[in-house]
Amino acid sequence: MARFTTWLRVNSQHYLLQDAHVRMARKYGYPTPPVHGSIFWTKIFVPVYRLMPWGLRRPIMTAIPGSHRKRWPVQMLPEGPAI
Amino acid sequence: MAQRIVVIGGGGGGLGAAGGAKAVDPGAAVTVFTEYEDVAYSPCGIPFVHGKEIPSFEALFLADKQAYVDAGIDIHYNTTVASIDTGARTVDVVGTGTVPYDSLVIATGFTYADPGVPGADLDGLYYVKNIRSAMEWDKRLDSVQKAVVLEAGPLGIEMATALAHRGIETHIVDPNPWVLGELCDPDIAELVQESWTEMGVQMHWNTKLNAFLGDDKGSVRGVDTSAGVIDCDLVVVATHKEPNSALAVAAGIKTGSTGGLIVDSSMHTSAPQVWACGDVCELPHQLGGLPLQGLTGSHAYAQGKVAGANAAGGSREYQPVYVPWGMVAGKWMIGGVALGETAATALGMPYVVGAADGISRARYYPGVKKVRVKLLAEPGSLRLIGAQMAGGEGIKERADFLGVAVKKGLTLRDLATMENVYSPPIGALNEPIAVAAQNALAAAAKAK
Repeated sequence: MARFTTWLRVNSQHYLLQDAHVRMARKYGYPTPPVHGSIFWTKIFVPVYRLMPWGLRRPIMTAIPGSHRKRWPVQMLPEGPAI
Repeated sequence: MAQRIVVIGGGGGGLGAAGGAKAVDPGAAVTVFTEYEDVAYSPCGIPFVHGKEIPSFEALFLADKQAYVDAGIDIHYNTTVASIDTGARTVDVVGTGTVPYDSLVIATGFTYADPGVPGADLDGLYYVKNIRSAMEWDKRLDSVQKAVVLEAGPLGIEMATALAHRGIETHIVDPNPWVLGELCDPDIAELVQESWTEMGVQMHWNTKLNAFLGDDKGSVRGVDTSAGVIDCDLVVVATHKEPNSALAVAAGIKTGSTGGLIVDSSMHTSAPQVWACGDVCELPHQLGGLPLQGLTGSHAYAQGKVAGANAAGGSREYQPVYVPWGMVAGKWMIGGVALGETAATALGMPYVVGAADGISRARYYPGVKKVRVKLLAEPGSLRLIGAQMAGGEGIKERADFLGVAVKKGLTLRDLATMENVYSPPIGALNEPIAVAAQNALAAAAKAK
């Protein structure tokens, strides 16, 4: 399981980052970097991932095993000035 | 009988753990095993000795060996732990045999990702990590004419800058389209790259390494890349940091998607009475919720304190991270916190953004430097989700401040109306963070 999730993370991170580089280069007027990789990752995975709403993506991503699924302190909200 | 606490690893995490354990239980028998000749030095300072900003390696040592003897911490140098038996609660130490523990802290750190190309056994490939090795490499640098730095991550940036300072013809080879491509945005990176150009650093972006090339004596003489061959006398291999988790994995301790050990807020692993800290484990990022691995020495030390305290019977918690970061890159300082535009775009996270170019002191005060700030916020609530910056000074302090701002959920409105210190030698009339927030608010209003 750990090997699969590592493989999934490494690849998805790589291809999503590659796509983000292209978008950032276009936005800021830099030469567009080349896109490498298999049809599955570049033409299917990345477009499908981007079509999903953030509200759906986040639970899918956080479903994988890891430290984030263990017990962690809940963030305290700001309480205003001391006096 | 004193409880027996064993720590594997003598870096920031390991020594933090040893100290944390002793603070909770001064009577505990704390034993540290390290494969290296030294502990208690700052490996992060090594590039700056190479670059001659720091005069000697001795300055990097924080404490001598006697200090640990005096503190009651039993450190075994040049010692390898071959295996862990979590059932029997023992470790097998090469040359010593079986050592029992009541609590174990794993702080085995990181290894550089294998470049996975031919020629990796050549002489002249420098993996920056150990201070004794760095001392030897430093002597060799006197005769190096031309060097390649493989990948412009944090260490690669510092080493490229250091080698250029030293007058060595320096080439950067990186598969990303700009410096710190996994983290940094192009409008921040461009300042660094411009300054490297001024310093004579030659950059090869979107370039993949195919092989290290050697001579008939087995020494590196160049690298073969997707953009052609680059001759060199030295290659600094600064590839991605991977968790050095083989020992723990062999003991059956669980890892996450980063390859790092899974821990909870007490830094406890999946095995009973085993804690972990530093680069060997993964920590959750509070925004987005995904785990991260390979953070800073500051993170490792703080995690070590928590792990060690809990291993000794204490009750401390570590927090999810937001990762304020910063470094000197070329002639600039760059930094940020949490998400930049590149990371937010890769995640597909919606954001509004605003940026501003300001100055670090009054415009007329000698030494005034440019400061570029970019802020990202969640649409709607306008709560800050990240920042990136470049400037001549004051980047670290702004990154620390913005780290707290993200953590506490401050909004663009809070930052747009923030008060700021104005004093000509240390602060300008307008704080660039406030101006960036005002620009982001204007952009958000326009987008409605």
